[in-house]
Amino acid sequence: MATKEFSVYMSGVGGQGLVLLSNVIGAACASAGIRALTGEQHGLSQRSGSINVHMRIGEEIMSPLIPIGGADALLALEALEALRYVEYLQPGGVVLMNSRIQHPIAETAVHIKDKAIKYMSVEDVKNRLGQVTDKISAIDALGIANKAGNPLTENIVMLGALSTLEAFPVPESALKDSVAANVPKKAVEVNLKAFDLGKEAAFEHLCNLVKCRK
Amino acid sequence: MGAADVVREGPGKAFMLCNEAIVRGALEADVKIVSAYPGSPTTEILDTFSDVAPKFDYKMEIAANEKVALETCAGASMAGLRSITSMKSVGLNVASDSFVSLSYTGIKGGMVLVVADDPQAHSSQNEQDGRPFGPNAYIPMIEPSNPTEAKKMVKFAFGLSERYGVPVLMRTTTRVNHQSGIVELERLDRKPFAKVKWDHPPGRFVTVAESARNFKHALLERTTKIEQEFSDSEFNVVKDTGSDLGIITSGAGYNYTVDAIKILGINPSVLKLGTTFPLPKDPIAGFLRKLKTVVIVEELSPYLELHCTAIAKDANPGVKIFGKWTGHFSEALEYNPNIVVDGIAKVLGVKPPVDYNAIMAKAKELKTGLHDRWPTFCPGCPHRATLHAVRQALKGTKHILSTDIGCYSMSFLPPIEYGDSLLSMGACLGVAAGMQYAVEEKVIAMIGDSTFYHAGLPGLVNAIHHGDDFTLIILDNEVTAMTGQQPHPGSDISAGDRPAKRLILENVIRGMGLEDITIVDPYDIKNAIGPMKEAFSRKGPNVIISRRACALYADRNKRKRGERIETNKVERSVCKKPYTCIRTFYCPALSVRDDDRTAEISKELCDRCDVCAKLCPFGSIKRGEGE
Repeated sequence: MATKEFSVYMSGVGGQGLVLLSNVIGAACASAGIRALTGEQHGLSQRSGSINVHMRIGEEIMSPLIPIGGADALLALEALEALRYVEYLQPGGVVLMNSRIQHPIAETAVHIKDKAIKYMSVEDVKNRLGQVTDKISAIDALGIANKAGNPLTENIVMLGALSTLEAFPVPESALKDSVAANVPKKAVEVNLKAFDLGKEAAFEHLCNLVKCRK
Repeated sequence: MGAADVVREGPGKAFMLCNEAIVRGALEADVKIVSAYPGSPTTEILDTFSDVAPKFDYKMEIAANEKVALETCAGASMAGLRSITSMKSVGLNVASDSFVSLSYTGIKGGMVLVVADDPQAHSSQNEQDGRPFGPNAYIPMIEPSNPTEAKKMVKFAFGLSERYGVPVLMRTTTRVNHQSGIVELERLDRKPFAKVKWDHPPGRFVTVAESARNFKHALLERTTKIEQEFSDSEFNVVKDTGSDLGIITSGAGYNYTVDAIKILGINPSVLKLGTTFPLPKDPIAGFLRKLKTVVIVEELSPYLELHCTAIAKDANPGVKIFGKWTGHFSEALEYNPNIVVDGIAKVLGVKPPVDYNAIMAKAKELKTGLHDRWPTFCPGCPHRATLHAVRQALKGTKHILSTDIGCYSMSFLPPIEYGDSLLSMGACLGVAAGMQYAVEEKVIAMIGDSTFYHAGLPGLVNAIHHGDDFTLIILDNEVTAMTGQQPHPGSDISAGDRPAKRLILENVIRGMGLEDITIVDPYDIKNAIGPMKEAFSRKGPNVIISRRACALYADRNKRKRGERIETNKVERSVCKKPYTCIRTFYCPALSVRDDDRTAEISKELCDRCDVCAKLCPFGSIKRGEGE
């Protein structure tokens, strides 16, 4: 089966479960007979630092790294981390980001010195990304994860939202089976709920901007 | 993914990290002995072997350091068992003493060393190129590009090792180790573990003087034979398009080359080298003869470029070779598709289809004011508290800090920016010894418990013996925290969570003859500063042990026991905004509220180490969940 190529640049903050997210997608691809590869980050940067995974789907792709300007989508588990990797996004590509912001402590250390300085906001991030694409959707993944029953399921909320994209070539059933197979047994139900709630959130906003599977 | 696929019976397909695929390959090859010290980007090899250890009967140690790990494998493979070790690039520096000699003595059972370089120094103190280790030691070297190939090569390496009686070096780089992909699982055909009879004559593995000279002649013959075998290796792949443009590449460089060719819409011949020592001269010469222009795509040093240039001298002196020497590629940093596209485009004198510099310039403009998110100490990390206590205790004392490799290395990054030197595992002690001769300032050395057992012991022995005047701080957090909280000699478990004898730091140090040892708990911050201050005021050598388990490790154990992770919150009505918590402690769980600018604690991130509460002069930080 020739799958259309799809590259999604995924980013977040160390500890948000980004590698698990890419593993869930990869394992779903393995079971669905779709070729996938990733360039991942492990080690030093995971200590509350900025992290990223290059997720690539396609029969002929060899580079685990997405070229600059080569990502069909940017999926960010934290809003500032969407802006940090803007160079990877194709002009007009999809930005799917968590509206949660975790301010780096180095930013806060500057912030306390001057009342006039404001933190960078989700709106700031959207406005800047807006110069590269008009397809930007921010989702309250933390709020939705809490609604699903566990704040740690933010990553799966975002996966649910990503799964609605028509261009994302992995079948929803394979993704859900993979979630169930790869999260701890007692957390399967809450993660599947997070996936479905993420989908619903995408239907409310993302799918008004981009073609989605219903 | 993960352990489940590594132990799954084949055949089948699995999505695996390259490091997991390496483990799977070794298991399919019936490896019997595993020993390693963790180090990125190879850590997941050790972790995976440790995770699945209870399902198999191989013997495994999480070694005190890479040299011991290599020697453990050497001993077992001399006897006749198959063994594997893995280490990061700089780990092989530590192990290299035995590595080179082991090439002389050889082994009987297959032995594989996976050594991973880290171009870009993502998690390392340098960008060293490990490839010269192959020729320097006359140890055959192979290089995979992806998980599928890595698994295949590991299995091949065990056979090669046994055919020639020599360990095999599998050299990888970060972007190979940390690449996941679809891997074919084969059958796990394992024989029960059994000891073997030592069937060697006396002196068989003794290399010194006359025997070393004899071994040297033998290993040269061996290398020639291996080169002949590599000339037909399936791991050296030629794609002959008939073009007079060719590309020679290997490892990660190959992956970017394939994508770059597509992006540029060109059709060059490609030689992908999988056996990089001894380099197969004949196929390389044959490839060069058909070309007018060749581009060498390899990260770090011009290793292939040097040899290909030498081979071209006779094979095709007219061929133009482009690479690092011609300025088309750099010896610094890792490559990516854009760098390879730009490098090849420059050789061809064409414009790349995408202007990467323009995209980067626009991105830079869009990111104005976006703060860097440096890696930092986790919420609850005892190191943050220790560093705060150290600086309080040394207030007013001019001092310099010789630090070492571990999570605490991050103290030099913003916003803490503390630390004056860092070289290599255990180096803080020797460096401090030199500093105390050279400067008037008080000299402090700082090392983690795992690094201390790895390479700090000789440095402390030296300091005690000579009476060197510095204070050593040992950060005792029970585990090798930086690489993912693996056990070490100060832990009560080892690989596969099997019980192990825990060495007690203060007993070890007292045994060395040093009595001046101060032990503090960094969470009990107020009571840690005083004793530290006194210790710093005494003549060295003396030792401060700051003892508290790694927060990630402690939290994981709490969750296992079903205990809740508690959090703190800021009482907004009490907070007078001196920001003591933020400006002296820099915990990533802290931020400032947009509305009234009081401090705020993220309930998702807080670990309730409670140190910030103890530091707050107004007592505004209390147990509870923030908004």
